[in-house]
Amino acid sequence: MDFDFSPLLDSWRFLASGLGLTILLSIAAVITSFVLGLAVALGRLYGPAWLRAMLVFYIDSMRAIPVFVVLVWIYFAVPIISGYTFAPFWAALTGITIHVAAYVAEIIRAGLTSIRKGQIQAGLAIGMSTPQILRHILLPQAIVRMLPAFGSVISVTIKDTAIAAVIAVPELMRQAETVAGQTYRPIEIFTTVMVIYFLIIFPITRLVDRFYIRVAYLGRS
Amino acid sequence: MTAFARKNADKPPMLIYDKVRKNYGDFTALDGVSMHVNSGEVVCLIGPSGSGKSTLLRCTNALETIDDGEIRFEGKPLPKSDTETRKVRQRMGMVFQSFELFPHKTALENVAIGLTTVRKMDADEAHKRAMALLAKVGLADKTANYPANLSGGQQQRVAIARALAMEPHVMLFDEPTSALDPETVGEVLNVMRNLADEGMTMIVVTHEMSFARRVANWVVVFERGQLLEQGPPQQIFEAPTTERTREFLSHLGWNG
Repeated sequence: MDFDFSPLLDSWRFLASGLGLTILLSIAAVITSFVLGLAVALGRLYGPAWLRAMLVFYIDSMRAIPVFVVLVWIYFAVPIISGYTFAPFWAALTGITIHVAAYVAEIIRAGLTSIRKGQIQAGLAIGMSTPQILRHILLPQAIVRMLPAFGSVISVTIKDTAIAAVIAVPELMRQAETVAGQTYRPIEIFTTVMVIYFLIIFPITRLVDRFYIRVAYLGRS
Repeated sequence: MTAFARKNADKPPMLIYDKVRKNYGDFTALDGVSMHVNSGEVVCLIGPSGSGKSTLLRCTNALETIDDGEIRFEGKPLPKSDTETRKVRQRMGMVFQSFELFPHKTALENVAIGLTTVRKMDADEAHKRAMALLAKVGLADKTANYPANLSGGQQQRVAIARALAMEPHVMLFDEPTSALDPETVGEVLNVMRNLADEGMTMIVVTHEMSFARRVANWVVVFERGQLLEQGPPQQIFEAPTTERTREFLSHLGWNG
């Protein structure tokens, strides 16, 4: 079997634009997932009973439905129901966010509840209010403890962006499919894509782990 | 009771406990405890584990709510509202058995955090005060250390400084040396003794009988949620009026 990498050279700009969109979608999805996940976690821990029940249902649903289905549903079903059409990029961002945020919410909730009661009491004893304790005592420690789990979430989120290819978001995977289809060189193209994903994600998870080892003592009460 | 005159007995007591009851399910932690603490007194609460000493302390600053009876602090019953409770807590410092320093803050930040968040003091002023308090507990050279890099005794001294930062009228110590290595117990007890010498009102739950003997003005013996006996340390340690107190002290190896 001979390999021909010339299609890669010919269409590198096309693929690079896909990579750029993958990175943009990844960064956006990580940020929105963490913001939404934090809000969901706080609502589930401190909200009124009706809100907690709704959020539990949301979290359970998202854990039971593939992100692929969520994304396709938002892109193809929501416009019919609501009359509002998402551009592919925004549909992908929305779908990935509401899916990943459910996992982030559970991680944050577990992180917050893992901190011993004595820390809360120490805050109360100097006259702090519950929101002050949450902000100054619980969340900072919880975030440190959650770092390894966050590393996994970041890598899963980046990988999930490849699913956006099915709704024609011109990200890396979509562009690669196009080039592979035109050139009949799937081995070269998809192997390259595989290596690119690896080169993006592997250093991130390694870095997060190393960072965690350095700062773990800050979360150890 | 004894004819011994208590400190500041001519003034209204700082804390009055009136038939205080506290239950955890079927377990009665406090079974109608009545006592008082005068301003400037060091009152040690002693007794077997589970006798209600720590519970009484935690009810004092409303970390636990009482089921019946009343606790009066500086003339007023403990408030019901959260806002008022927070104000009262600022006038009571608490030191925990397990220190409970905030691991993500340096020693200095641990002491300053109440000033900056609760009192809204600006950071420079708060750090200046925190620095002075750390010097007072002998840790001027450890201000930048995180709790993970402090010994148990050092951590507990930071915790004392953290409580003092709020300028409390009374300090509540909940077995402050029980979690410490024997060699660091002394440094914490010294800080506490200095505080007592300055006239700080202190309630100390402790198993350190020699500290109670030497520093307390008043000793209260608890058993099964009830007040077994109270009196000046000379009386409790040398001539206890109840057989149970004698037994408890001899179990601890106390021989006067």
